Amino acid sequence: MLSESKATKSLPDNLAIRINELSISYKINVESKKTLKNAIMRASKGERVRTRTVEAVKNLSLDIPHGSVVGIVGANGAGKSTLMRSIAGILPPTSGQITVNGRISTLLALGVGFNKALSGRDNIILGGLAAGMSKAEIESQTDSIAEFADLPEGFIDMPVRTYSNGMYSRVAFAVAVNMTPDILLLDEALSAGDAAFKEKSFNRMRELCAEARTILIVSHALSSLNELCDRAIWLHKGKMLASGKPEEITEQYLKFLNVGELPSSYEDL
Amino acid sequence: MSEGNNKIQVFEPHRSSLPPLKPYIRDFWRRREFASELSKFSDKAEYLGSKLGKVWLVLNPLFLAVIYFLLVTIIQGGRGQGGGFTTLCHILIGLFTFYFAQNCILLGAQSITSGGSLILNQAFPRSLLPLSSAISATKQFLPTVPIYVLIVLSGKLFLNDDSLPGFSLNYLLLPILFLLLVITSFGLSLLFATLNVYFRDTTKLLSYIMRIWLYASPVLWQPDMLSSSYRIILYLNPLGPILSANSRIWINGQMPTLAQLIGCITWALIAFLMGSYFFISRERDFAVRI
Repeated sequence: MLSESKATKSLPDNLAIRINELSISYKINVESKKTLKNAIMRASKGERVRTRTVEAVKNLSLDIPHGSVVGIVGANGAGKSTLMRSIAGILPPTSGQITVNGRISTLLALGVGFNKALSGRDNIILGGLAAGMSKAEIESQTDSIAEFADLPEGFIDMPVRTYSNGMYSRVAFAVAVNMTPDILLLDEALSAGDAAFKEKSFNRMRELCAEARTILIVSHALSSLNELCDRAIWLHKGKMLASGKPEEITEQYLKFLNVGELPSSYEDL
Repeated sequence: MSEGNNKIQVFEPHRSSLPPLKPYIRDFWRRREFASELSKFSDKAEYLGSKLGKVWLVLNPLFLAVIYFLLVTIIQGGRGQGGGFTTLCHILIGLFTFYFAQNCILLGAQSITSGGSLILNQAFPRSLLPLSSAISATKQFLPTVPIYVLIVLSGKLFLNDDSLPGFSLNYLLLPILFLLLVITSFGLSLLFATLNVYFRDTTKLLSYIMRIWLYASPVLWQPDMLSSSYRIILYLNPLGPILSANSRIWINGQMPTLAQLIGCITWALIAFLMGSYFFISRERDFAVRI
């Protein structure tokens, strides 16, 4: 297996990510609790664990060039988050292969590694370290990250538990986009903060795009995807149904959802 | 920032075997700061605003030692081996040391299951989380050493008890012994952390195991109390040789015996190799099972 991975450890220069016939399935334990006690009880009765296999991603192949901004749409349970986690190297593939070239930063959930008892400033350091930065790197950027989050006066040095949801996600978002990664994976993060902050996030995202970063965005905010992405893919039940220009894909997706083209439907689906 | 550039990573299906160790160790070493800072920040969060908070970390084993000392003295009808003060000191240093192992194992065992969102959303060598617990346990242990020394000194001063050594060159062996203890406890914490992912009641069970483990270790009793045929108990216990050697240096000021040293090193190797193999070969599944 090792020699195989060495043989395939190359990627055309223009590609940031290559996904080759990727499938991911996992078993969910139907039983209530995974405890030693239950395992012994089961063994004594000669029962087996009841599990259900979920095929989250099925035979997906995709090439993503450097500097492209790819939007991923799909209904709940389509396998979007699973795909993002496997690209980040968190979930192992069941079959197939993912090759990634570059430093990855993820914003798959808001405030990962945050400790609510600590101040915003401490959490910027914690979040940055969790994301793989060195302490010196993150400390040199703490002020600019704090500035980007643009919290009300004095809040950055107060415990995060005193923050509103919006303030919390602003800090989390600021940490992720100020990391200057080669590849940025964002999951449902575009809705962080109020209108003014959204505008700021967009501008920052455009900057990242202009710096030729590769970005993958999972979002239900279709109009944002249309504006930011140069390509979109539509996942449905683990399979890629369509891939192409964002406007076309989001339109197809909307038709499929059969909710019509209300202005509201472009924001949150 | 240049480290990550042009670094090609391949994610593939894996079997239940070790990942390529070289990149794993490199990654682990590169991100060691994450473990130490995580420990620093979680300690900071825990003792935020309570100045006495950290003092309890020393007071707790201190009080327990006194309670155990009283119990042991009562059980033995006041006829303890050696002076009462020596017995107290033996219990003290034994308990402080045992507490380090216990903290390291208990905190480490919970580190994976309680690090849920980190594990689901960031990729990093998972063994950094138990490492962070081991760092926290070390930081709790170190302040207890000067407390012990202070108690011994005041015993010498006020009780005129000369049975304990003042300073001995053998004390220089203590850091090495502690290092072996850290390796053993860290290895065991990796083992229990993995078990806890599969069986969530492991930590519950562990709190009982630790108590029995304490009674089976030469903390409340002294290794010489065992007759030769029972002495095997000391060596079957992963912490037995270390605790005996530890007490021999602190209390008698003597070099550990060869058997004790071999026991310490053997258990450190077994615990570390077994724990890290068990942990690292399964850690890629943690995100699925959390």
